[in-house]
Amino acid sequence: MNLKFHDNLLPTLPIMQELPLDRVIGITSNIPIEIVFAAGYIPIDLNNIFICDRLSYKMVEDAESAGIPRNTCAWIKGIYSAAKVYNISNVISVIQGDCSNNQALMEIFQSDGIGTIPFAYPHSKNDYKFLHKQLVCLADSLGVDYKKAEDMKRQLDIIRTKVHEIDRLTWEENLVTGEENHIWTVSTSDMMGDYTVFNERVLRFLKLVKNRKTVQSDIRIGVIGIPPICEDLYSFLSTIGAHVVYNEIQRQFSMPYHTETLVEQYSRYTYPYDIFSRIEDIQREIKQRNIIGLIHYVQSFCHRHIYDSIIRRHIRVPILTLDCDRPGRLDGAMRTRLEAFIEMLGNSETEISVTSRQYIQGGHIG
Amino acid sequence: MSTENTLPDYYFTINYVMFCLVTHTNNGYYINMKIVAGIDIGSTTTKVVVMCGHTVIGSKTSSTGTNCKKTIKLLFDEMAEDLAIREDEIQYSVATGYGRRLIQANEVVTEITANSKAAKWIMGKKTNVRTLINIGGQDCKVIALDNNGIMVDFAMNDKCAAGTGRFLEVMSRILEVELDELGTLSERAEDIPQINSLCTVFGESEVISLLSQGRRVEDIIAGIHKSIAKRVVSMVKKVGVREAIFFDGGPAFNRGLKKSLEEELGVALHVPPDPQITTAIGAAIIANERLEKIQKNNKKILH
Repeated sequence: MNLKFHDNLLPTLPIMQELPLDRVIGITSNIPIEIVFAAGYIPIDLNNIFICDRLSYKMVEDAESAGIPRNTCAWIKGIYSAAKVYNISNVISVIQGDCSNNQALMEIFQSDGIGTIPFAYPHSKNDYKFLHKQLVCLADSLGVDYKKAEDMKRQLDIIRTKVHEIDRLTWEENLVTGEENHIWTVSTSDMMGDYTVFNERVLRFLKLVKNRKTVQSDIRIGVIGIPPICEDLYSFLSTIGAHVVYNEIQRQFSMPYHTETLVEQYSRYTYPYDIFSRIEDIQREIKQRNIIGLIHYVQSFCHRHIYDSIIRRHIRVPILTLDCDRPGRLDGAMRTRLEAFIEMLGNSETEISVTSRQYIQGGHIG
Repeated sequence: MSTENTLPDYYFTINYVMFCLVTHTNNGYYINMKIVAGIDIGSTTTKVVVMCGHTVIGSKTSSTGTNCKKTIKLLFDEMAEDLAIREDEIQYSVATGYGRRLIQANEVVTEITANSKAAKWIMGKKTNVRTLINIGGQDCKVIALDNNGIMVDFAMNDKCAAGTGRFLEVMSRILEVELDELGTLSERAEDIPQINSLCTVFGESEVISLLSQGRRVEDIIAGIHKSIAKRVVSMVKKVGVREAIFFDGGPAFNRGLKKSLEEELGVALHVPPDPQITTAIGAAIIANERLEKIQKNNKKILH
């Protein structure tokens, strides 16, 4: 691919100023990147550009200045600004299976002169015919033989298996933190635009973590819902003694099930379909990973917030719903809620440990 | 900055007399008593409670102001003078509330944990508290407790002052009525208007509009209480309505709000003698538990 990167242990974006723009295709959500890679293009997840930007907060404000309403999901605004700031000229937009805001965003791109390729997941995950037609359509749009995309799937599957190993090391051996798990799994949406470099980093990371000390925590939690927009959620959870052993949607991005074909792979991917497939996956992983509580991350103004009531009806472990609007650090109220939730889980597991703070003879206050 | 003793006189006097009898020798020193403090630094008010063993011996409240360290120092100085103790005789302290990390205490806990602890302790074994409603200066919480008083679920308002003490403060200012008069005035309501706005700012406009229509202040206040009650009750329903229900936080002093909540819930609420200091009491109870545990562990090591 010849993309340039700064050296890092975890996945990163390529050096954006040196992107070969004529080969780059922006994506608005997880799409069959096998087809993009097979066609010789570079898929870059616009969500990653937005959230990794030092001025991500400003990107949201700029999109509002450009006319996107304030009461719209900040991810949509961020995607819009990411495409504009880095002069992305072609975008694959998910118009079914993500949200209707994305459909409107695609039309804004069109009116701004950005080339768009629509991709729709079927309404039902069992509608293989529809899905196959969409995959072939996408391959045709990018001028690649669909069979080459299936070959690419087999190549990417080998890399994905290594990311699944990182996931296993998170929950089974406690060698990987929840934040690292989040970054690795979420990055599978575009594999840094260069699956060869991504593969090298995975191998290096796997080698390194084997000599690590394990994460010490009995408070094993999962984060469900879309990837959080707030920058310090994982680090904060870690400072208050929780170990995130499950990142639901990010794990889905990594295509966690063994499949033979692209149709099978993208019909088992739960995110675009009904909530009940997601609930099945969540229930299974709660049991497998010995999870005692869930944080349901919901994005302000996102329709997926509505699912919260269904999730609560079906999932039996305690759930904290965390609603966040813009990128940045957690505010005081969010920290209090998270801390109280972790305290609650801690209390239900065992009596609160007094060793967390040093006892000082003749306490000093003020 | 003025501070005040917030426990009812009888409560304070009885406990303080007991404290003096038990702890003071003729020359004024304490004998092996565990003195602990709970500090609740809220967005609006700071509360300090001092306990000796399992007894509350003093409490102070003050507006938090812009420098909570200074506020805490002032409260402790006054407390030390009232109780004839030195600050360094407080063996363990637990801080809670929004400002909990801004001061140096032995430990911090969230107000949700402290509040749960206090509700169970205050109501005792006779009343099995299963739900707790706390309305603070800028937030509102509903906490579900299990049979043993352990918190099992909670809900908290998000990014909005509606349904909090702040909402009442804003409305009392527009209506030119003292905050502590709201409850009494609302009892004289005759024709309660519906206040639809869920937002404090829009609620303010709605109240101004009602005033311009010539609606009675008493009626408007009752409408405000009803609006807060509806919002809080929707949160209670999210967690589950389980009796007994405990209601605390500064706004629990307001009889009209309590009545509105009871009407919306269809259940009687238990309000403690001083609902404003319960979270600080909870922090003090946790401090006492920690101290007991530490002393027990130290004894084990010595043996």
